[in-house]
Amino acid sequence: MKKILEIALGIVTSVGGFLEIGSIATAAQAGAEFSFQLIWAIVLGGTCIIFLVEQSGRFAAVSGRTLPDAIRERFGFNYFAFMYLVLGLVSLMVLSAEIGGVCVALELGTGVAFQWWAIPVALVIWLVIWKGTFGVIEKGVSLLGLITLCFVVGAIIVHPPWGQVLRGAAPSLPPHDSARYWFIAVSILGASISPYLFFFYSAGAIEDEWKETHVGINRIIAVGGMSFGSLISIAVLILAAMLLLPRGMKVQHYTELPMLLIPVFGQKGFWLLVGSLGIACFGAALEITLQIAYLTAQGFGWNWSENQRPLDEARFSFAYTVIILLGMLPSLVGLDPLTMTVFSMAATAATLPVSIVPFLFLMNDYSYVRVHRNSWFSNAVVISIIALAFVLAVVTIPLQIFGGG
Amino acid sequence: MELVRDVLDKQVDDRGKRRMGRVDGIIIVVGPNRPPRVAYIELGVTTLMSRLSVRLGRRVARWMRKWNVEPDPFRIPWGKLKIGLNTVIADVEAEKTPALEWELWLRKKVIGRIPGA
Repeated sequence: MKKILEIALGIVTSVGGFLEIGSIATAAQAGAEFSFQLIWAIVLGGTCIIFLVEQSGRFAAVSGRTLPDAIRERFGFNYFAFMYLVLGLVSLMVLSAEIGGVCVALELGTGVAFQWWAIPVALVIWLVIWKGTFGVIEKGVSLLGLITLCFVVGAIIVHPPWGQVLRGAAPSLPPHDSARYWFIAVSILGASISPYLFFFYSAGAIEDEWKETHVGINRIIAVGGMSFGSLISIAVLILAAMLLLPRGMKVQHYTELPMLLIPVFGQKGFWLLVGSLGIACFGAALEITLQIAYLTAQGFGWNWSENQRPLDEARFSFAYTVIILLGMLPSLVGLDPLTMTVFSMAATAATLPVSIVPFLFLMNDYSYVRVHRNSWFSNAVVISIIALAFVLAVVTIPLQIFGGG
Repeated sequence: MELVRDVLDKQVDDRGKRRMGRVDGIIIVVGPNRPPRVAYIELGVTTLMSRLSVRLGRRVARWMRKWNVEPDPFRIPWGKLKIGLNTVIADVEAEKTPALEWELWLRKKVIGRIPGA
């Protein structure tokens, strides 16, 4: 019974991490502009992240180390410094987008412009991390994130043509606006294969004191959580295809998002959208803040744990405080959160090789993972993901210029 | 033992298992008519920066001196180390060494002054 509860909580937690402003916005844009045709990008991104999350959890459970620990040890400080700069900057951009997402939800709910919410939102994020434990953050906020299941209910209620939905799961060439089509596909992949997900997951495994016995549970949580998260993203895409596309709405502004749920649930749909957006982004903002602080502390060997008093880990506490302040700035000066989101997802896609290449080496290193090394199949998948990551790194910037819209 | 694989960049904990930092550098002493000897490990930002670029390391050291911060890295004699699988255990008390200077400064001047710390 305890194990079932652990798995259920783990899956819910993984969903909480998966669904954030990037996946909601890119899925909505995909549905609004290309109907069901880009479902394959969510399926592909979801499959990749299942493998990476499973491997990062297995690595932490067996070796007792987080990914940054091992990357610094095996690849040396110079590679770590490069990865730290790239991943730190991209994660900071994603954090800004998430804080912007919470602010937009508050703007939609209150009518007060989003930039006024930047400081209060940053303060609440900081307070939750300052006072909360890892369990509170991981499970509490993720349980609240179950509100996003309203997208799934909505997608069933609108009765989509399921045959076309299924056909969308197979890649196809765009009927129009090729550059835009591929740019959205790349952004969806950037939103799905977020490095912060597997870095945070590996730190979480250490915080939760996972041991070798958790390898099986880890597999179920990774597959269940990420599949469930992808399903919600697909539901957002279906709603956008059924409700926004016929109205000619292309999600160029956040104010169009409530139309994903209002036609289905009436005025309640508006509040469900506000709640879903706010909670999903808030949860993601907490996780990304911690992930950057973890990356810093683990890479430099500082004391770190969300379960300790801030006084006992002053550098770690100082790090997340500065990260929140920096992440809040774009919203405070009024940068459009949707632009930030799309740009940060593209930046994530462009920098994926930096954080994914080490997997191939670490997951085959007997001194870390012993008998739990990757099988030939897992290695083939990682090599494919690395190849995909390199393609994304090359095509993202040209697509940003020609299809960023 | 292979120094780079088994020691460099590893986590350093003190005798009470408190995290101090990582092995940022290894000092090997080369004397006449004697084999090279591993003398110390180093923990410090100037050592790290020197690994990126010697010029950068010097520049950071100059900048630290300008702000009255000790730029020399903290050295732990090899004899005080126990090399484990996951960590290097140093037979010292972390809080009494310069390795935690910044940690203690932040604790006293910044974090400790915030309610609820």
